[in-house]
Amino acid sequence: MEATAKPTAKELWDGGDSPFRVSYGKIMMWYFLISDTFTFAGLLISYGAIRTSHAKHDPTNIHSWPDPNEVFNSGPGFHHAPLIFVTFMTFTLILSSVTMVRAVQEGHNMNRQGVMKWMIFTIIGGLVFVLSQAWEWTHLIHEGMTPTTNPFGATSFGALFFLITGFHGFHVSVGVLLNSWALYATYKGVFEKRGHYEMIEKLGLYWHFVDLVWVYVFLAFYLF
Amino acid sequence: MSNLTREESKKRVWKVCGILAVVTAVEIAAALSHYKFFHESPKMLLNVLFIILSAAKAYYIMSEFMHLKYELKAMAVTILAPFLFLVWGIIAFLWEGNYWLSSKEFWDILR
Repeated sequence: MEATAKPTAKELWDGGDSPFRVSYGKIMMWYFLISDTFTFAGLLISYGAIRTSHAKHDPTNIHSWPDPNEVFNSGPGFHHAPLIFVTFMTFTLILSSVTMVRAVQEGHNMNRQGVMKWMIFTIIGGLVFVLSQAWEWTHLIHEGMTPTTNPFGATSFGALFFLITGFHGFHVSVGVLLNSWALYATYKGVFEKRGHYEMIEKLGLYWHFVDLVWVYVFLAFYLF
Repeated sequence: MSNLTREESKKRVWKVCGILAVVTAVEIAAALSHYKFFHESPKMLLNVLFIILSAAKAYYIMSEFMHLKYELKAMAVTILAPFLFLVWGIIAFLWEGNYWLSSKEFWDILR
């Protein structure tokens, strides 16, 4: 047996061929997102367990679980329109996911202007979402729903709502900051010089994940 | 990497966007019509529909937006397999929540 294996062309992950034919950075982003999924799943499963342990919605029992249609029925300038404002928020997040994909695609085309254009749309979408959430929080706090009080029903509903939408909103805010940095780096030509726009792809994975989590936050708080 | 041309993948993105928007609209319409017209009837069946539609949205986001459909299959399996633990988590903790509920009912401290 030949004792020394000849180190042939070293590249990719130094082993000659990258596992799963994907870059190190991208697979690590995926692994981070798996762990983040479990964090969110932990929160949402706690929500499920606590909700199951409460009496079903009953207007005569202040300790029963609230009806989302009664809690979330206002938007800026309108009232008594259940779920309308959150529909707007959901569409905003979906659209910003789409503009993110377009930015990634323009990155593949090495089109710096295109990447910048679509990143700007994505950042605007994220900002609109976070500001809408800020409005909703402010409105609900004025209505008397806080982590410790809830005029609509079970106190735990308010506590879980602020905890989980807050954690999601924190993710959106971080995404907006990272995307803004990437926009600046694109403007400065950092990725152009590097020869690829992989950073935009990695941020794209994160951004779509935030959209994906919203699907389930939306399901738990607004639909069920 | 996908075998789609630039134009094809561009079109595809907007198609998936349309699907996600329509599914969301259906969910909202279903939730609102239950609230307006069938308020008294149980929501069980509707919740099953919501779970299925949310899973469909998750599928489209992961496979198309996050590009998982176009990666090696082994990678998709490595990423998706750990989520099987969540099936246990959901069953176990909802079971537990239900037990808390019956305890509270038994001791008459339901609130």
